[in-house]
Amino acid sequence: MAFYDRMMQIDRRIIYLCMTLAVAIPLIVPIGMPVQVSDEARGFYDHIEDLEAGDIVLFSFDYEGDVMAELNPMSIAALRHLFRQGVRVVSVTMYAGGTGIAQDILEETAAEYGKEYGIDYVFLGYNPDWSGTILRLGESFKATYPADQFGKSTREIPLMQDVETYDDIALLVSIAGSALSEYWAIWAGGRYGVTVVSGNTAIQAILIYPYYNAGQIPGFLGGLKGAAEYERLVDIPGLGIKGMDAQSVAHLLMLSFIVIGNVGYFLSRRHERKLKEE
Amino acid sequence: MKRQGPVVVAFIIGMLMLIQFFTPNPFFLRLYNLFLDWKQVVLGCTLILGTWSLIRYHTRRIGRRQQNWQYSYVTLIGLAFMVLAALIWKTEGGPYRWMFQNIQVPMQATMFSLLAFYVASASYRAFRARTFAATLLLIAGALVMLGRVPVGALIGGNIGGHEVTVSTIADWILNVPNLAAKRGIMIGVGLGMTATAIKIILGIETTYLGKSD
Repeated sequence: MAFYDRMMQIDRRIIYLCMTLAVAIPLIVPIGMPVQVSDEARGFYDHIEDLEAGDIVLFSFDYEGDVMAELNPMSIAALRHLFRQGVRVVSVTMYAGGTGIAQDILEETAAEYGKEYGIDYVFLGYNPDWSGTILRLGESFKATYPADQFGKSTREIPLMQDVETYDDIALLVSIAGSALSEYWAIWAGGRYGVTVVSGNTAIQAILIYPYYNAGQIPGFLGGLKGAAEYERLVDIPGLGIKGMDAQSVAHLLMLSFIVIGNVGYFLSRRHERKLKEE
Repeated sequence: MKRQGPVVVAFIIGMLMLIQFFTPNPFFLRLYNLFLDWKQVVLGCTLILGTWSLIRYHTRRIGRRQQNWQYSYVTLIGLAFMVLAALIWKTEGGPYRWMFQNIQVPMQATMFSLLAFYVASASYRAFRARTFAATLLLIAGALVMLGRVPVGALIGGNIGGHEVTVSTIADWILNVPNLAAKRGIMIGVGLGMTATAIKIILGIETTYLGKSD
């Protein structure tokens, strides 16, 4: 086999091994890549920073375990920021698998800041109809969620006494692994006028740009990089910043393989042309 | 009548929902809330239907000894265990939460993480500059891939008084060509949805009723 053919046919097991090392080594031995803050992340940060103590934020965990590596750092950093500001948090999830994740993160971050369940934060859980839930919350939170995740009546929860509709919500934060941030912006933002900021996976973030440029989502965090930017802004380093080195090296590795494949492809074409001419 | 009934219902409900959007009339607001409640009840019922369908599918697989039928036992036992664990120990703690944190979440994360390997291997094989369009895609993809990680901000320099890095080029790609394409798609989808909704309300589009007799 010619050298350029080998360049085009690298065994996939070698690629897998290189990828494993590219992700693992920077996590074990951090490089400390500098993280520059984008305007999108600053928009997200500014909207939380502008809140006052006692304001109420609706926080939606719109993801499951599959994308938690990208989105958990955002949720944790955002909740730390909110609790640090003294903001009260009403939390929901639009995914059945999101309940456990939301519960873990809420308990962990609330404990860090000494926040009390029912007073400073509440978790309303999962409803099977996300579109109906988003619209219904605009009419009545208590009718949409008669009980919280743990079966307690929302009429008996002190924090819920101050929440009737979106009018009582100062900001809506959707951390989503799907198009749900867009739906929050269209229905909760468009119909009921609530300000929506979002955190999205890197793939999903590309679809948020039209909403960002139109001002419908005035700030968002895109992928693990967005989480790292936000962690830098709130000055609480976490999994986002830690993961940036690994992601940088992994992307460089992927590009290197693409370049090797293309160099091999051009060499093979040149060789074929030479053979034809002869 | 079998077909006319649902078409009439779709027309009435469709028109009522259309009107309620433009009027603050309390009657329409009550109607709107009522339909939202119904929608939640109907979707709640689909969960029961989905569970029933899953049980039927896997019991049949076991009964017919289809390929890999043994895995159906894992599904059914897992389903039964999680339901019982939630009923007995609740979801706040106990075996339900333990299973969620230590079985479901790691499995979901593992499946998704495997994509990194497949994407690396697939992009190496597929991203070849065979045509002009493929070359354009390759360059745009490479720039965005580099621009979305911190290393992208380190590659570049001062060109004509402007700081140009791979990250700034990636931002331009996302904010201009990507945005234009996405807006075009969104407008197209929006118009398509509006046209389909009008056709359903007026009874022109009836494929949602299934095959005609």
